[in-house]
Amino acid sequence: MDETRARFDAEVLPHLDAAYRFARWLSRSAEDADDIVQDAVLRAFRGFGGMRGNDPKAWLLTIVKNCCSTTMAQKQRRSQVPLPEEHDPEDGEAMISDAPDPESETIRQDEKSTLERLLGRLPEEHREVLVLRELEDMDYRQIASVTHVPMGTVMSRLARARAALKASWQREIEGDSRAVR
Amino acid sequence: MQCAEALRLQAYFDGELDAPSAAAMEGHLEHCAECRDSLADLQGLRAALRSEVAHPRAPAALRDRITAALDRETAPSSAPPQTAHSGPAPPRRARSRRERERRRSFLFGAFSGAGGAAVAAVIAFMLVLTPGAVPVVDQIMNAHIRSLMPAHLIDVVSTDQHTVKPWFSGHADVSPVVANFEQQGYVLVGGRADYLDHQRAAVVVYQHGAHVINVFSWAWDGKRMPDKVTRNGYHLMFWRSGNLEYCAVSDAGWDEMSALTGLLKGLSARDPDAERS
Repeated sequence: MDETRARFDAEVLPHLDAAYRFARWLSRSAEDADDIVQDAVLRAFRGFGGMRGNDPKAWLLTIVKNCCSTTMAQKQRRSQVPLPEEHDPEDGEAMISDAPDPESETIRQDEKSTLERLLGRLPEEHREVLVLRELEDMDYRQIASVTHVPMGTVMSRLARARAALKASWQREIEGDSRAVR
Repeated sequence: MQCAEALRLQAYFDGELDAPSAAAMEGHLEHCAECRDSLADLQGLRAALRSEVAHPRAPAALRDRITAALDRETAPSSAPPQTAHSGPAPPRRARSRRERERRRSFLFGAFSGAGGAAVAAVIAFMLVLTPGAVPVVDQIMNAHIRSLMPAHLIDVVSTDQHTVKPWFSGHADVSPVVANFEQQGYVLVGGRADYLDHQRAAVVVYQHGAHVINVFSWAWDGKRMPDKVTRNGYHLMFWRSGNLEYCAVSDAGWDEMSALTGLLKGLSARDPDAERS
C-alpha cells in the first residue's frame, strides 16, 4: 500500500462513522447518505495532499457538507416535488430503520425516537450545528469551519436551535400527557 | 434574559470561555436563578440528545465499497502517479485559495450585522490560547489518551511515594511532588515518564473512583498556560510551582480535580525542596 493511502487510512478513515452520521442528518436519507459519503471520501483522498490544519475530522465533515449540498441541489433540479413535507413525519424512523438490530428496534419502539424525529424536523442550519455540537462533540471553531459560517453565527444558530428543539420537545411531551388523560 | 448573557452562558456550558470568564459566570450563576434554570435546560437537552438519539456506524457494505473505490484510486494501473498528481493539483490550489479568502471574510463577518456587537462581546471572553500553549495542550491530551490504553498507564506501579519519587530521578528531567492521598479519595497508583514539550516529563498517576487523573510536570519554560481547558471532554488544569509547570488531566469533574490540585499545591507549599527541575 502506498504511503499516502496508509496515512489517509490512519488519519481520515477513523472518522468514516462520523461522516456517515453527518450525511444522514443532512440528507435525511440513508440511500443518499451512502452515495454522499462515498463521494466525499474519494474527494477527500484526491485532495488529501491539500488538507489544511491538523483536524481530519472537521476536514472530512466539511467535504461531506459540500457533497451533500451538491447532491441536494441536483435532486432539486431533477424534481420539483417538495421532498421535505413528504418525508418529514417519517424522518426520525428513516434515520435508524436501515439496519434493524435489536437495539435500534427498542429505540424505535419507545419514546426515544421522539427527540430524534424532532431533531430531524429542524431546518438544516439548526440541525447541523446541533448534531455537530451535541452528537459529534465538536467545538465552535470546528463547527464554523464545517458549516462555512463565522463563529458568531455558530453561537447564535446553536442558541436558536436549542431553543427550538426544546420548545418542540416540550410541546410533544405535553401533547402526549394530554392524550393519555 | 439579555442576548449577550444567554450566549455567554451557552459558551460557558460548551466549554468555550476562558478561565476568568468561566469563573465570573460561575459567580453569576450563584445568585441568578434564571441562568441556573437555563443551564439546567442546556444540560437536560444534551443528556437527552446523547442518550436518545441513535448513533449509527457506517454500514459494512458502504465501508467495503469505499475501500474498493480507494483501492481503484491507488491501483498502479489506473493512472501513473505523476498524472494523478499533476491533474487535480491546479483546481485544488484554486479552491484552497478561495477558501482562505472565504475564511478571512468570516472573521469580518463575525463582527458585522445585527447582534454582531453582542457576539463580539462574548467572543472576547472565549478561550483564546496563546500560540505556544496549543501544542502543549494537544501533546498532553494525546499522552493522556495514550495512557488510558491497556498497559500504557504506568511504568512504575506503586502506592508508595518513596518508590515513585526516586524512580523519576532516573527516568524524567524533573522531580515533582508525589504523595498518596488515599484518605481523601485520590489513590497513588504509580508513575510514568512521557516526552512532552521537548523534555522528559514526569507523570504521576492517581485513581479517583472510576477516573484516572494524570498529573504531568515539566520544567517551566516561560510559556503562559491557561488555568483550565476542556478538550475533547477531558479537563486540563494547569498550575505552576517553583520551576515546575503542572497539568492535571482527567475526565473527572472540575471539583474533583480541584481537590487533588489543592492537595498537591499544599504539599509544594509545605516542602519547597520536594520539587526540582
